[in-house]
Amino acid sequence: MRRHLGVALLLLLLTAVESNSMSPPGKPVLLGCRSPEKETFTCWWEPGSDGGLPTTHRLYYETERLEGVYECPDYLSAGRNSCFFNKSHTSIWVYYYLTVVAFNSLGNATSDTLKIDVMEIMKPNVPENVTMLVQGKEDTPNIQIRWEHPYNMDTKSGWVTVKYELRVKQEGSNKWKSYTSGTETHFTLYSVSPGVVHMVQVRCRLDHGYWSEWTNTTFVKVPNNFQNGRPFWILVSCLSAIPFIATMCILVMTRKHVKQYVLPPVPGPKIRGVDFQLLKSGRSEDVINAMIINQNFPLMVGWKDQMEEYLIVTENDNGPLPDPSNSQKRKKSLIMPSGFRLDSEIQYKGSTPIQNDWQTAEETKNETDNFVEPSQLPTKEQQCPSINFVNPEATERSLSNHENASKPFTNSGYVDIQKHEESIQEVDVKQVDYSRVKEVNGDNILILEKKNHHSSGSTDVQTQEDISDDYSRVKKVDSDNMVFLQKQNVSVDTSCREKGDHYTDCSLQKPRNLHVTGPHKVGVCTGLIDSGYVETMPAPL
Amino acid sequence: MAQRKTNGSKLFMMVLYMVAACSAIPISDLLDRASQRSDTLHSLSTTLTQDLDSHFPPMGRVITPRPSMCHTSSLHTPIDKEQALQVSEADLLSLVRSLLQAWRDPLVILSTSANTLPHPAQNSISTKVQELLEHTKSLGDGLDILSGKFGPAAQSISSLPYRGGNDISQDRISRLTNFHFLMSCFRRDSHKIDSFLKVLRCRAAKLQPEMC
Repeated sequence: MRRHLGVALLLLLLTAVESNSMSPPGKPVLLGCRSPEKETFTCWWEPGSDGGLPTTHRLYYETERLEGVYECPDYLSAGRNSCFFNKSHTSIWVYYYLTVVAFNSLGNATSDTLKIDVMEIMKPNVPENVTMLVQGKEDTPNIQIRWEHPYNMDTKSGWVTVKYELRVKQEGSNKWKSYTSGTETHFTLYSVSPGVVHMVQVRCRLDHGYWSEWTNTTFVKVPNNFQNGRPFWILVSCLSAIPFIATMCILVMTRKHVKQYVLPPVPGPKIRGVDFQLLKSGRSEDVINAMIINQNFPLMVGWKDQMEEYLIVTENDNGPLPDPSNSQKRKKSLIMPSGFRLDSEIQYKGSTPIQNDWQTAEETKNETDNFVEPSQLPTKEQQCPSINFVNPEATERSLSNHENASKPFTNSGYVDIQKHEESIQEVDVKQVDYSRVKEVNGDNILILEKKNHHSSGSTDVQTQEDISDDYSRVKKVDSDNMVFLQKQNVSVDTSCREKGDHYTDCSLQKPRNLHVTGPHKVGVCTGLIDSGYVETMPAPL
Repeated sequence: MAQRKTNGSKLFMMVLYMVAACSAIPISDLLDRASQRSDTLHSLSTTLTQDLDSHFPPMGRVITPRPSMCHTSSLHTPIDKEQALQVSEADLLSLVRSLLQAWRDPLVILSTSANTLPHPAQNSISTKVQELLEHTKSLGDGLDILSGKFGPAAQSISSLPYRGGNDISQDRISRLTNFHFLMSCFRRDSHKIDSFLKVLRCRAAKLQPEMC
């Protein structure tokens, strides 16, 4: 008896313990719904805890069109925990309000309401039968991809509009390339690499709804023989490059000729008498010299034509003792232009009527560096050198040095035969070239006073020798047309020569009427000429 | 002489008719153009509602147990494929035109309220609403011309006045809610328009299966 009671108590206790773990079901959760073709739809839910008891779930729905609550028409077709709405139960553009209730012996639980419209839950099945075919010519392979519409899809009535999308990947690459195909169920792929496996996937969607899942990958390998074309093109390009390179080489080697042909040199301006190269080289002296030499000085010609007589001039003194350094600078002497006259135009007092005549000659002389010029006066170059002054130069030994004493323009009475700038340095030695006019005889005869000139020492002899042969100093003027020339010490300038019939022979180098004083030489006699010029010709060198 | 005249006039009429027939655009082509435009319209409205939902949970779905009816709900349209395939072309066209007509005014209201919508994506929403307005108008005008080829039944348009007033309320929350509600109504109606026109297109192009 007690044993039975104990067992009963134990059983009761066990039952009590067991019944404490049971509970009403947990609240289920509606996961969502989906319509694959716009004609049916399916909904799924997640059941909650079952509370240890067998629980059942029921789905109830309401629509905004129909009154009343309806239960799911099909719990089986779509699998566990699902509800399938077939065509007759499916309405589009109508809201459905769905709830799921879980039941067990202890109670029930209701899920949250889900509001759906078929329009919003469209997601089609995957496309079917994706095939790939390699086609094309030798050099241009392509892949034709074909597929079919998803299962159960109505494409004949226009009720649904299916749009497809595919993506392609080459073996070994990680990136998919997407293409849209529109509503067509085929696509041709042109960006194909030969010898590589290509993979394709396709998906679709309805009416701007959700995209379907991708199909399984389809593979195809593009064969390698599509590469045959390439060596051919390499060969062609190489062959065509060779003549091109050859042409370029020829052009480069003969580029000068080509340049001459294509771009002939433009002739530049030419000025007669001017050498452009000389100008470019930038030595103005040479340029100016060239210009001068090329020019015709009409003045000189004119004067020359008018020259008729020469005045022979002598001097007693030592010749001017120019600075030896200067003498080297001086170039060959030049016969004075014939514009010199000692006619009635000569004046003693420094008036300068003839200056104008001589100035042009002066200027030309200055430029050529060949003239002996009087530079005693401040405007040195403006002064006319009186008459044929000698350029005492070492190289011109043939010329007898003489000094023309007839310089009517100096105020002080000096006759100046110094050269241009260089003579400035010899201002102190200006006495060298001067002779004082002692007496004037007649209209055009000057008697010079002999002077002692001092020069720098040892150069005396040389400088005396430097005095040109062309000139002689006037020692004395005898009458209207006789002038006594003074012969030089060192150089027996007997080489003076007659010029024309106006000269007396210079070889008459006998001192006549000369009083030789010291180192002075006997001047060379010359005849007189009408115009008053004295000139001895240089000895033939 | 008279016979020659009648013969000549017959010939002339025939030539004229042929010319007119040849130069006329086929209906399938016109419907194709219309359905392309409606496709754009529906795509725009879908994107718009997605933009709206992106920042706000679908409160319209959960909060309102019984949604207020769209102002076009009174129009009886086919609600599944069988019904849609049974409606005549003229009736389908009439339905489409009625819907388009019903949305002219509310879209204007939506457009003005979109300018001051308290939403993060207000700018893109505003531009999209503008586009919607233009597409609706042009589609409606085109279908008005097209309906002439479908007979008298296509000419009748049901009047579906919008009674929501000129402004969609003042406070922020209700403005957003109303805007969302109106947009969802429009999205549904644009889908209807698109589906009906595509059915019409497929029916008109019997010799061209790619149109379906």
